[in-house]
Amino acid sequence: MENMEEDSSRAPLLWPDPPPFWKDFTPDNIASFDRLKHDYAQQQGLDDSDVLLRILDLPEYLLDLQPPREPEERKWRLFSVVHSLNDELQSLEAMGIQRLGPLNERDRDGKHMDRAFELKRQAKSILLNFLELMGVMSYNPSHGAEKVKDLDTLLLNFQHILNEYRPHQAREQLIQLMQDQLDNKRAETAAVRGVVDKAKRALEGLGSMEIPPPTTPERESSSMMKASELGDGVKDGVPHWERQNIDFALLDGDFV
Amino acid sequence: MGDRLTQLQDAADQLVHQFIACYYYIERRHELETFGPNDKIHDLKDNPKELDSLPPDVFQAGQLELARDLITKEQQIEYLISSLPGLDNSEHDQEQLIKDLEEELRVAEAQRLDAIKEKDEILVRLDQVLRSIRRN
Repeated sequence: MENMEEDSSRAPLLWPDPPPFWKDFTPDNIASFDRLKHDYAQQQGLDDSDVLLRILDLPEYLLDLQPPREPEERKWRLFSVVHSLNDELQSLEAMGIQRLGPLNERDRDGKHMDRAFELKRQAKSILLNFLELMGVMSYNPSHGAEKVKDLDTLLLNFQHILNEYRPHQAREQLIQLMQDQLDNKRAETAAVRGVVDKAKRALEGLGSMEIPPPTTPERESSSMMKASELGDGVKDGVPHWERQNIDFALLDGDFV
Repeated sequence: MGDRLTQLQDAADQLVHQFIACYYYIERRHELETFGPNDKIHDLKDNPKELDSLPPDVFQAGQLELARDLITKEQQIEYLISSLPGLDNSEHDQEQLIKDLEEELRVAEAQRLDAIKEKDEILVRLDQVLRSIRRN
């Protein structure tokens, strides 16, 4: 604290400092906490991977490393909003909103066409209600509030159906991701197989060649000619085998 | 650009914003009219400040444009609704699909590893051959 007061160059902070206990999370402390937790779990015959496991007699300097207990009422407040531990979508009734569509039971085999139909119906209702609101406002503005409330209910219902749809969409996305992954893997396998086949053919080609006599003057050119079955022979002054090696080096980089 | 649901929720929000814009337009920009033959429109200088009338034709053109925008947004919403992913899959279908895909992925992964192993082998062989050529 003294430091802070002395240091007049300290700019006023946009955000407050983190709570002081962050300094307790040193590697040493974390290691000793883990050790304690492990020992404790073994003593009690519990699973030490359980995050909710609590050590009762913890040394004071490690107290902050232990996560706090779950709130007993399974609810907590954050920025004056109440959250609950099991994070479920609140039903419309719980929020005090009239439900317009049919109640969607958790029907595992149910299709979602109905839901789309319901959404379209409500979208049209929203538009119609706006039109009615305009009409009411031009004749009798004091009745406008009711219409606005109707619109409110409609919109909230609309959004609620969308939120109910989220888990479904999440599964759908998972399916999409897995399909993509599968396609990628298959494409990769096919590409590797293709290169391997090519290399095998090249090897067979080499195997069927005669070994050139080692000391003839045309040694260079003849081996080059024969090896040209490997690829296109010499290009840009780089001998074919060198290039082949380079190619494989690239492949290695790509696939491994 | 989010997923379909987010797009849809955004579109609904935009629709509401458009509602508000339309409301204000009509409220602020209309012309003064008389209810009966005995009414009089006061001198324009006495116009309340919140009213900023437009000439009737301009006003109507604006109204038309706003109405068109509303319809367009509505159609966009309906289009988004019909393109929600997996409308004809039930939860049960989805689970089955995920399981199938998991199995297929396992097979594909095994094949991929096989292919890579084969590639490494062929690489070694090719390397040997090339070395022997170079030595010759």
